[in-house]
Amino acid sequence: MADALTTRPIKRPNQRPTPLRSAKSHRPNVLSLLLRGAQGRHWTFAFGVVLLTLVLLVLVLTPWIAPHDPAAQDLGNRLGGPSGEHWLGTDHLGRDVLSRLMWGGRFSVTIAAITLAICAVTGSIIGAIAARRGGWLDELVMRTVDVLICFPDVVIALFLIALFGTGYGTLIAALTISGWTPFARLMRGLALEINSKDYVEAAEILGSPKSYIVFRHVIPNASRPVVAMGFLRFGHKLITVGALSYLGLGVQPPDSDWGAMLLDAQPYMERAPSLGVLPGAAIFLSALSVTMIGQGLDLKKRRKRASEQTAIPVPPTRTALVEGEAL
Amino acid sequence: MFTFLIRRALTLVVTLLIVSVLAFLIPYAGDGDPARKILRARVNDPALDPAQVEALTHELGLDRPIYTQYFDWLHQVLTGGFGFSFTSRTPVQELVVPALGVSVTLALAALLLALVFALPLGIWAATARGGKVDNAITFMSQSAVSAPEYWVGPVMVLIFARYLGWLPSGGWTGPEYIVLPAVALALRPLGYFTQVTRAAMSDVLSAPYITAARSRGLSFPRTLVRHGLRNSMLPVMTLFSFWFAGLLGGSVVIEVIFNIPGMGRLLYTAVLNNDVPVIQGGMLWILTLAVVINTVTDLLYGVLNPAIRVSSHG
Repeated sequence: MADALTTRPIKRPNQRPTPLRSAKSHRPNVLSLLLRGAQGRHWTFAFGVVLLTLVLLVLVLTPWIAPHDPAAQDLGNRLGGPSGEHWLGTDHLGRDVLSRLMWGGRFSVTIAAITLAICAVTGSIIGAIAARRGGWLDELVMRTVDVLICFPDVVIALFLIALFGTGYGTLIAALTISGWTPFARLMRGLALEINSKDYVEAAEILGSPKSYIVFRHVIPNASRPVVAMGFLRFGHKLITVGALSYLGLGVQPPDSDWGAMLLDAQPYMERAPSLGVLPGAAIFLSALSVTMIGQGLDLKKRRKRASEQTAIPVPPTRTALVEGEAL
Repeated sequence: MFTFLIRRALTLVVTLLIVSVLAFLIPYAGDGDPARKILRARVNDPALDPAQVEALTHELGLDRPIYTQYFDWLHQVLTGGFGFSFTSRTPVQELVVPALGVSVTLALAALLLALVFALPLGIWAATARGGKVDNAITFMSQSAVSAPEYWVGPVMVLIFARYLGWLPSGGWTGPEYIVLPAVALALRPLGYFTQVTRAAMSDVLSAPYITAARSRGLSFPRTLVRHGLRNSMLPVMTLFSFWFAGLLGGSVVIEVIFNIPGMGRLLYTAVLNNDVPVIQGGMLWILTLAVVINTVTDLLYGVLNPAIRVSSHG
């Protein structure tokens, strides 16, 4: 690596190279990706976008629009049905269900989003480094991915809880350990593909620093599949967070999320079925919206790939299937 | 193929070593005296003699380097098992083996149920690609994938056990007890299986050899079964085994809801009660099985599909 080109990088002040068309149109801007991508997609994509927007809007506005204090008890009005005062009724302590759904959703969605962000960033970085370095590091990373990917995430969470006890740190750590692997594998594949492209080779020959190649070529070109994967995994995370809370191992009282609300509702399922239906429906609709968006983003890519196909198709590899890449 | 095998075996050994170190560390983490925790695993007596605890602390030499303690523990595990459960005072193996049997039954029932519905649906969607049927099936599969089993399960209990009284709401004493948990557990794999079947089938159906078979005069159903199914089942089968490994310990929520004495509930109650030997034994069993099942699947995949074997990195 000690050749003249790398030790003395060519300086081009104020003269950025004309961005390649592909690089420009793949800027990692989720919003424009969503809006621009709507045409030519499956109707479920638009449905998912609308649903997700609604859910996020309600959750963001919760402090202003929630009708009651989610913790305010009214023991005289336990398990009350829907009324003008309490639109969705009250729970076993007389707390307003609608307000609890809103505040609980903030917990569920935030935890899922935080873990997802950590997973996507660390997974992508690890995958990109593995692809770039190759050799034993690549081997080590991929073997780790192989192993971690077949461990059920609830079991990993139980293991960590046995070691460190319950808490938000444990929760996020457990979900991260089981969640970074799909991103690492995806990013590794993408980076290998991009690194072999002519424009990357051209940039290397021109003496561009590695960081330039990473930020100019690899990240812009990989962002779309990674974002699609992020949406696909979001629903999964949301369901897992709910499962752990349902088991009493996730969100701890006095905080509450949708899973914890379902747990609270169990003894009263017969007297007040809506208590056990509504929080689950909230998880379901949120997960459905992101699944639809993720698959919608993925679909166009698959269609293009299918139209390019001429030879006998090779089925996707096992891990690609597991990660939902082929869905 | 041979190097592939060696690599996989090596991965398995290293994984087990790492997992066993973590499992060994459980009594040392958290509050409480590790000597008391370890002694309770060794002696079949709930009340601990303080003198004995003292003696054990000395005997175990908790001041000794921790790696010698680890190797002692590993030796004990490999020769005599994980010891006694804190709560039920029975050897861990006697708890794990029946629980595994229950979980295997439940997982197989759920996954076969999912497969029985997913295959026709996926094939139907693939043959009617882009049409109304395809849209409906896609929507259904996306919904199935997004439905938490801890929501579907209790709602089904409410309807079929409480209101209609057709099925028991929980327990594990007869064949009718498997229906509700299996259906609840089958829903998400059903969605995934359908999507994968559809994707694999539509890939295969657009292949030239299908056109060739059709132009030779083979009827469409025959083409579908002889060429389509055979070539599209591989991804579905691998997904099946992945879910199977996952459900062995991962169906915690359903086992808790339906009060099923499976592996997931065993681990869950062990964690709640801080029943260290059961956690250690259960974790090692489940994680070993998960790695073994997936390794075997990968091997089979390579055997059944030479195209993958050539390009596979592992």
